[in-house]
Order: sequence, then C-alpha cells, then structure tokens
Amino acid sequence: MNDPDVFSALSNPVRREILMQLRKGPRAVNDLASGFALGRPAVSEHLQVLRKARLVREEPRGRERYYHLDPRPLSEVGDWLQAFTHYWKQRLAALEDVLDEESRE
Amino acid sequence: MSSPAIIQLDQVYAHPPAAVWRALTDPVLHAKWWAAGDVRPIVGHRFTLDMGAWGQQPCEVLEVEPERLLRYRFAAGTLDTLITWRLTPEGSGTRLTLTHEGFNLDSPMGRQAFEGMKKGWPGVLERLGPALGA
Repeated sequence: MNDPDVFSALSNPVRREILMQLRKGPRAVNDLASGFALGRPAVSEHLQVLRKARLVREEPRGRERYYHLDPRPLSEVGDWLQAFTHYWKQRLAALEDVLDEESRE
Repeated sequence: MSSPAIIQLDQVYAHPPAAVWRALTDPVLHAKWWAAGDVRPIVGHRFTLDMGAWGQQPCEVLEVEPERLLRYRFAAGTLDTLITWRLTPEGSGTRLTLTHEGFNLDSPMGRQAFEGMKKGWPGVLERLGPALGA
C-alpha cells in the first residue's frame, strides 16, 4: 500500500497548489508564502505535511530553506488510478458485448 | 488544480443512446457487463452493487437526464466516489463518457479497494506490487 500520508497530503487544495508551484523548480518558504493568502506559518505547516509524505525535500541554503518537489510518491498515486482506468476499460468493452447481444435479439 | 484523482474514459458504441441507456439502467443488462444491483434512473434512489470480492457497495442516484446523463455516488464508506455516465449521439451510435472522480484522498480508502482489486482483477495491479509492499 502507498503510504497513506501521500493521500492525506494531497487531500488539501493548498498543498496541491504548493506542489504545482514547485513543478517550476525549488522555492524558498517566504517566496512560496507570498503567493498565498495564508501567513508564512500556515504555509510552513503545509510544507511539513508534504515533507512527511515524501512529496517535497527540504534543502537549507544559508538562512533560507528551499523546497524541492519529489514526484515519486505522485507516480504511485498515478499507478493506483491507472489500475482503475484499466478496470473501467474492461467494463466498457464488456458493455459493448452486451449491446451487441441485445441488438441481435 | 481540482481533485488530483479523476478518471475519464470514453468509448463510441454502434448503438443508439436508448440502447446504451438501457444497459446502464436495467438491472438485468447491467449485471451482464458490470455488477448486479437494483439500479434505477430515479434521483434519490439508493441501490447496492454486488462487486464480488469488493463486497456490496451502496450507491445513490444524484442526477438523471434520460438517455443523456446518469450520475451516482458509488461505494459510500469505502471508495466514496462519484460516477457519471454521459451519452452523446454520434452518427447512428453513441459516445459514452465515464467520469469516475472524488476519490476521497483523505481516507484510508486505498487499502480496501486495493485488496478487492487484487482479488478481483489479477494482473491489473502487477505494476503496483513494489508500491504495495513498501
């Protein structure tokens, strides 16, 4: 099972937005916080949740801490959804068989 | 970024919307391609789908437009998601669009679903093995 922390971490829209921001490259907390209507402490807290879920890495640079996106846990979530996609494709194919059967009757 | 977890698929069938609609809303036909259960195109109707290894999943119809749209809540308490079927006439056939969304990423949803999927659909999850064992 994926670390459920990944799912919890992704359940919050602010955290998802932080991840979107980090796709463009590492950012410092202050810099990130300036883009949100939240204070720096709240953004820091969200970053810690993301860090525990292994979705971001911290890198101290001088007095600042930079955060990097780690996409690996996200790909696990993607795999999870991929399995569902596969399942639905099978069901849609089965539906076609049923429709063919019905139209022959 | 809206929900990170949404599945959307579509398929075109060489059958008119009325026929596809029947397959979605007639329990006898529905059981042939997906799951047994008393599905009915009535808003507020609650029914249960027998998902085999996944158990009996409670559902509730949320929206109905005959031969165009059927939306229901699926598997409350486990996956707790939203399934929407849209039917669009295409030539003499029908384009059926499935949207499966609202995976409750804040719950320990994965475990039950995963377990059920592993039993019910061998092979699908092979790629997930490493992640599951982690």
